[in-house]
Amino acid sequence: MHKLMMEAKPALSIQRSGGKQLSNFGFPGAVTSFPNILNHKKESYPKISNSQHVSLEKDLMQRPPTVVSPFSSNNTTVGHIYSSSSGFSTDLQFSSDQRQENHRRQSPFISQSTSGGKSVVLPHPGDPGVLQSTASSHFNHQSDSRCPRFLDDNNGDPIVYQSEDLGKINEWKDWADQIIIDNDELASDWDGLLGGTSFADPEPKFETNKSEQIPATPKDTCATPGRCSSGNAGPTKQRMRWTPELHEIFVEAVNKLGGGERATPKGVLKLMKVEGLTIYHVKSHLQKYRTARYRPETAEESSDKKLTSIEELSSLDLKTGIGISEALRLQMEVQKRLHEQLEIQKNLQLQIEEQGRCLQMMFEKQCKSSLDLLKGGSSTRDTDNSKPGGGSISLSTEEQETAQPLIEQQIPKAKVTRRCDSPLSESAKAPHDL
Amino acid sequence: MKMKFGKRLQQQIQQSFPGWRDKFLAYKKLKKLVKLISLAPSMLNKSSKTEAEFLHLLDYEIEKFNTFFMEQEEDFIIHHKELQEKIKEVVDIGWGANANGSPALEMEDKMEKIRKAIVNFHGEMVLLLNYSNINYTGLSKILKKYDKRTGGVLRLPFIQKVLEQPFFTTDSISKLVKECEATIDAVFPPAKATGMFHSQAGNTAVLVAGEDIFRNTVAALLTMQEIRRGSSTHNHFSLPPLSLPDSKIIQSLIVLSPIQIPS
Repeated sequence: MHKLMMEAKPALSIQRSGGKQLSNFGFPGAVTSFPNILNHKKESYPKISNSQHVSLEKDLMQRPPTVVSPFSSNNTTVGHIYSSSSGFSTDLQFSSDQRQENHRRQSPFISQSTSGGKSVVLPHPGDPGVLQSTASSHFNHQSDSRCPRFLDDNNGDPIVYQSEDLGKINEWKDWADQIIIDNDELASDWDGLLGGTSFADPEPKFETNKSEQIPATPKDTCATPGRCSSGNAGPTKQRMRWTPELHEIFVEAVNKLGGGERATPKGVLKLMKVEGLTIYHVKSHLQKYRTARYRPETAEESSDKKLTSIEELSSLDLKTGIGISEALRLQMEVQKRLHEQLEIQKNLQLQIEEQGRCLQMMFEKQCKSSLDLLKGGSSTRDTDNSKPGGGSISLSTEEQETAQPLIEQQIPKAKVTRRCDSPLSESAKAPHDL
Repeated sequence: MKMKFGKRLQQQIQQSFPGWRDKFLAYKKLKKLVKLISLAPSMLNKSSKTEAEFLHLLDYEIEKFNTFFMEQEEDFIIHHKELQEKIKEVVDIGWGANANGSPALEMEDKMEKIRKAIVNFHGEMVLLLNYSNINYTGLSKILKKYDKRTGGVLRLPFIQKVLEQPFFTTDSISKLVKECEATIDAVFPPAKATGMFHSQAGNTAVLVAGEDIFRNTVAALLTMQEIRRGSSTHNHFSLPPLSLPDSKIIQSLIVLSPIQIPS
């Protein structure tokens, strides 16, 4: 049952029907993205039949995407709309294929609307990168044996995740090459198109039947290539996660090419030599860069932030007599305070979750065999395994309460430690003080 | 009488920038789903359907956060660099101009603009961090509710995954925030390093700048305080109450009404 769902899910996420596309993005991953969770739940709930699950998929697919607008219509950053992909925690990487599919069905200019996709964290700038003009370079790093079929056909070319699409790979390749070659032309067209018009069609339209379900091997568990996933657990999108270091490289490249207005995405991409970076990433980033630099008024307007101008501030100063300088200082102080509190809160949250995780592991160990960790823990705790979840380990209320001293002991400590052993062994004796 | 998280979240959303308002967690909707799930016996079709819907919505929300966050982050990174460049320019010109005896007023004006830009930039970034945090808090709460109502064990593993998400891994932005603070201190050394409201003693409600950012920030601080006062999902996994020494004063800073500029 579980497996079937996993198989059906990738099919969902690779749906190419435009109108429903976004409905897949939020959805497909959810169930398969937490296989562990589902295992637990399987034990806590009675089994549900296969057919119910499958019909569930169909249902969801056909549901009109009420969630479309937040993604498409409020994107005020010039030039980049993301079609997000499947569940955040799946490792399903399909967007390269999907993006290309989009392009095939419309004019290349509009295809930018789908260039969102993956979130990829780039490796360190210093890495010598082979210039890859497509998004698929990181696919080459896949060593996951669960996706063998995708490695052999393509010789390093973009990998497609649908069995039926294997035949279309060459078409894709040719098209991609063409796009890259025509890039300079394209770049000026981008500006023209994006400068004037808003996106008429945020959802790419597709011809394929949205309800078709393609049985597929479980590709949703493909391992993330290490290079592209550092610090990012959701590498399934085309979305690039920019860092200050990466931006530095970008700026250097742009300057070498004569500045923001003169540099072309292709040129910048070549100069940057960052593996995994695609022309689409560069293009969108360049657009943002240009807006910020050469059209700051536009950037301000489109930022949704509606910052009060300095005039308003000074009028207030007149009324309150505190002066711009003082007002700014006050504002800064409040902001600093908030930041401080946010950091503290975050640390606490991390600590709490870490404790929870350790406790979980602890109980799991306990369940299996050793009681040594607890050094003579009370018999009630040891034998209290009759949880509603059956075989699964859940922290029932009593356990949570006995665990409380552990937590309370740890929270005052400033450092967040990822190592479970030490804090627990220190405080393992604490419950007995209850 | 303590307000529920849902209400607090709504307040926060109201206070935030217009373009951000639909990017926050759909807490209410998720809560409704949890309720539905807990009411329907788990054997029925309906329950599993609602469950799936719940999970899907969670997924979708996280996706929404990630996309929005990374977009803002990218903008901030670009903006940060531009600010740095501007500062360099002005500081360099500044020294040059003073030597030549050029109008110091222009310089001052430029410096003022830059200072304002840095402060606002700092503020926006902090608000993004707040955005991240409040959504995380909401997720955590909703998952607690889910576990509580259904006896499931969704929260722990789910949260572990959330911790790794782009929208939660905010170190990059935090770093930029700190850099802004350092820059402000370096380029605009504080005249008196006194406490926050030292010079404002006596002026309470009148103080506030009309800045959206400022209002937003103050609201965020207060919201945080309220949220941590205790809730229905409070247990040892909850945060201790927030201690804001200046909270009374901060409260008084909330703009009662926008001040009109006579034109």
